Amino acid sequence: MELSILLDPFILAEVSLQGLIRGSMYGLMACGLSLIFGLMGVKNFSHGEFFMLGAYAMFFVAVIMDMPFILGIGAAAAVLFVFGVLVERTLIRTLRRRAGREWLLDAFVLTIGLMVVLQNLALLTFGSTRRGVPTLIPGGVEIGPIWLTNDRLLILVAAILIVSMLGVFIRYTRMGKAMLATGQHPEAAQTLGIDINRVYTYTFGLGAALAGIAGALLISIFPAYPTVGFHPVIKSIAAVILGGLGNVPGAIAAGVLLGLIEAYTTFFLASGWQHVITAVLVVLVLIVRPYGLFSSAKGERP
Amino acid sequence: MRQESGGTRRPSFLRALTVWRAAKIAVLVALLILVPYVSDSAFITTVFISAVMFGLFAAIYDLMIGYAGLINFGYAGFIAAGAYTSALAWLHFGVSPWLGLLLAGFVCAAIGFFTGLVSLRLRGLYLALMTFFIGEAIRFTISNTPDYTRGMLGLNVAPFPSIFGIDFSRGNYLNYYYLLLVIGAVIMTFMTALVNSKYGLAFQALREDPLATESLGISTTRYKLLNFTIASFLTGIVAGFYAHYLGILSPTPQEFGVPRTVEILTITYVGGRGTLWGSLFSGFLLIGFQEYFRALGAWRLVLFGCLLIFVMLYARRGLAGLKKYVW
Repeated sequence: MELSILLDPFILAEVSLQGLIRGSMYGLMACGLSLIFGLMGVKNFSHGEFFMLGAYAMFFVAVIMDMPFILGIGAAAAVLFVFGVLVERTLIRTLRRRAGREWLLDAFVLTIGLMVVLQNLALLTFGSTRRGVPTLIPGGVEIGPIWLTNDRLLILVAAILIVSMLGVFIRYTRMGKAMLATGQHPEAAQTLGIDINRVYTYTFGLGAALAGIAGALLISIFPAYPTVGFHPVIKSIAAVILGGLGNVPGAIAAGVLLGLIEAYTTFFLASGWQHVITAVLVVLVLIVRPYGLFSSAKGERP
Repeated sequence: MRQESGGTRRPSFLRALTVWRAAKIAVLVALLILVPYVSDSAFITTVFISAVMFGLFAAIYDLMIGYAGLINFGYAGFIAAGAYTSALAWLHFGVSPWLGLLLAGFVCAAIGFFTGLVSLRLRGLYLALMTFFIGEAIRFTISNTPDYTRGMLGLNVAPFPSIFGIDFSRGNYLNYYYLLLVIGAVIMTFMTALVNSKYGLAFQALREDPLATESLGISTTRYKLLNFTIASFLTGIVAGFYAHYLGILSPTPQEFGVPRTVEILTITYVGGRGTLWGSLFSGFLLIGFQEYFRALGAWRLVLFGCLLIFVMLYARRGLAGLKKYVW
């Protein structure tokens, strides 16, 4: 490849934009994961399967029932919220009640089991065919020399919108404030009359719903199939680590960063290397800054 | 609770070897040796090989998670490193697979030492994530360098050459099985002795409370590194066997990625953490089940996952919890 092509500003802008769009979706997923982790300490490895279920919900509503795709996004959010609540009530709570030493590690292993179950149940129910939607909104817009399809624009706008809504929810609603308090100090929150079990349940449901929304939005890029969640969940776990575990804005920023890295490595190197680069980056951050890139926290190490 | 069954209160595990217990062990060992020979069926023998092989991987995994509380979530990547080391050493440098087993052990030990070194500051989930990304980095490096490893195309691996007049050509499953039994016996004896030594106590102290352990003047860093390095060395040896027995390697997720790690982790947890031998039993149970019910397809993985969830929720001690009823 000629160097002049690599340095062409339009191509760089194009690549950056692709990265930004992918990154915004990793950020969306990572923020659900980070929320669950920050509040409950549970590392949810079945997050990718929530993403997968969201994609199937979207396919069901938008293609099989032939309804507008906005309803599909709503359906994905609702279904996954209920599912997340059920998972928390039945599985995670049982473990938390026992609350022995290292119950978090047990919860992590439990979500691994859940991942295997959901993936294979999806395979049995839906088969391994990829069920996608070619486009949600046909057409596109031209920004200068760059052509941007409406779908990608939708992803970007929706990601920004949802993240801001989440910010407003956490800062200004009763439940959101209760979540913040529980995250800071569960015992103190309980003393102040906050029903922390309820907060945990809602948090898990909300995190699952965010993953479902990401899955629904991305159906034109990632068609629904049983193991579709693996790639996004890896990226969002990486984003959560890079952003600092439990740091929601940090996770979003790191998600965008990972999207950019992915776009650049895919463009300049063979696409397979992006995974190695992501992994090496995460390992380096865990060594040098275990609290994440965007955190100023000091003191006790994880 | 676990310490009581782990035998740490006894000064030596040999002292607990009553006649009755010895007889029961003798029967099990006899079954292990004789069943494939008597059955004279290639299918039974291959199932036994898989069961023992994965039982061993799970037992080594148990040395990390069950004794020292170190979770290695990139374990399949370590297996890949061992398997490819032996296979590539033979392919590119003509190193005999027998030497390759040791070489694989040393390369894995080096990776394990490195992993331990970079994750000294991490515990629990953070360690799981760190090892996960190291494992994935190993796997993707293999799949991205097809010039050396043939990547996703799959690498053909030579069988073991004959040694002491014993033939190890492909398809001679019985000899491979006995070779594995010898390797397994050495590894299990070594690990049992290790966990019953002062090192085993230090590992458990590390698991229970690293801070208190440190304050007693035991270097948690040193034992953590030791545990990881030894476990990785043993993994490398079994992985070398895996490569030459299987004959073909490819860096797919099913073979060297998360699904494989989950499989081994499930065997360990179902067998009971901190028991070593429980992993071998559950290896036979789960792998035997898996091979026998191939027709079930994806359902058997659903069952695997449900089993793992069940063990986490209600049977934390796994099969070892049943020991007092049947043993």
